[in-house]
Amino acid sequence: MELKKTHIYQYHAEHGNVVDFGGYAMPVWYEGIIAEHTAVREACGIFDTSHMGRVYAEGPDVVKFLDYVDTNDIASLTDGKGIYGNMCKPDGGIVDDLIVYRMSAEKFLVVYNAGNRAKDFAWLQKNTKGFKVKLTDMSDKIGMIAVQGPKAMDILAKISTPDPATIERFNIASLKISGLDCLAARTGYTGEDGFEVFVLDDPVTDPVKSLKVWNDLIAAGAKPCGLGARDSLRLEAGLWLYGNDIDETTNPIEAGLKWVVKMKKPSYFNGRRALEGIIEKGVTRTLVGIELTERGIPRHGYEVYDGEKKIGAVTSGGVAPTLDKSIALAYLPLEYKEPGKEVQIKIRSNLVKGKIVKHHPFYDETKYGWKRVKA
Amino acid sequence: MTDEVKVETGLYYTSEHEWAKPAGDIVVIGISDYAQAQLHEIVYVELPKKDASISQGEAVGAVESVKAVSDFFSPVTGTVVEVNEALLDSPEKINGDPYGEGWIAKVKPSNWEANASRLMDAEKYKQHLATLKH
Repeated sequence: MELKKTHIYQYHAEHGNVVDFGGYAMPVWYEGIIAEHTAVREACGIFDTSHMGRVYAEGPDVVKFLDYVDTNDIASLTDGKGIYGNMCKPDGGIVDDLIVYRMSAEKFLVVYNAGNRAKDFAWLQKNTKGFKVKLTDMSDKIGMIAVQGPKAMDILAKISTPDPATIERFNIASLKISGLDCLAARTGYTGEDGFEVFVLDDPVTDPVKSLKVWNDLIAAGAKPCGLGARDSLRLEAGLWLYGNDIDETTNPIEAGLKWVVKMKKPSYFNGRRALEGIIEKGVTRTLVGIELTERGIPRHGYEVYDGEKKIGAVTSGGVAPTLDKSIALAYLPLEYKEPGKEVQIKIRSNLVKGKIVKHHPFYDETKYGWKRVKA
Repeated sequence: MTDEVKVETGLYYTSEHEWAKPAGDIVVIGISDYAQAQLHEIVYVELPKKDASISQGEAVGAVESVKAVSDFFSPVTGTVVEVNEALLDSPEKINGDPYGEGWIAKVKPSNWEANASRLMDAEKYKQHLATLKH
């Protein structure tokens, strides 16, 4: 089957190491994962995220509808504000994680994972029953570029009016970028400050606008980054990857996402009763961070041991270029959640030593990430 | 995107892109230029164990980039007499010099002639590479 192409495909084909990523032709790297990772931690990198799902939800019942499908508090949003949440099945399993932005009282932008585009749209559509709401899949009509890093603001400002500095974290606003109508949200998937830019009215069949914004960002000093760096950056930040760390067999409570499940919401939402039960009974396992203290690279699926006893499996793992260490996420029994506790990861035939560390994020927040003290 | 792949003459190759180079009574083994280019930025090497008895085609170690793990299959049967410990701190030597400083192990072969008959010479390996998609 021919791979699907995103808005920025032309650039990937010319400059990137392109692979099949969930059916999309996407770059793993251009220059190299480590250089691209470092650019985002130290300056600014850009990512094509046009493969993600982007849907407009509109109508008089849109708030009620989104509060029914999303675990977070949609009614609390005012115009221009976004919120990260989960969509759950009635049993509490996670259908996907997503960000919902309120554009106006009856119009919201919903952004979810590329790998779940078909599943999520069908899920949302199915759940509209009884609500006056209309869904429009905009994924192929809007380009999407993430601009990330401590210099993201300065670089985006060079080609934007008005100044994106007025957009606060998790807010979204209309901007002219490269003279084109765009939305910019102060969000991302790297742990760093930055924006996710939506290039409006730009069909994927002729994506001249998205390519212009992309090329202008590079000219302004941003480094193009592939999916390899996107994954290593999000892992260092301790951000969940759907399909690895969360899926339909995991629930937000054990995943460390209880903070996006708002039981104070007055109405029922998908998964509410199941999640209340899980909270009341208590979870038996929890997502923890592991840092290896010996050589080796943990990967998805590797088993975690305490001596002879198998206690879990790695959901995400790899090298952390910023930390110069190997790190992993894994679901382990609750008694392993305390930092410092020693475990081993089976890498091929070897049990490699590691210890539990804080993982959201793995790095020192005074030095890296959006909270860092700017020099 | 990448420079032309280097294939060194005088070496013997596997279809999995390992090489073996007879040197006196031992055989030096490693991965080819094609293999290192495919992996890109090598960040970790799991070396074969010194003194271990290994067989041709057996997974005896691994070479890893940020994204990928590639098993290292021994191109030769014998006893590991030395491993390149410099790779533990500088795995990128394989990217820089796969046929030289990036060697992985030295093996005392038990039947090199039999092993060699199942390996490709440089010409055959070049033909093999030509059949692969880049």
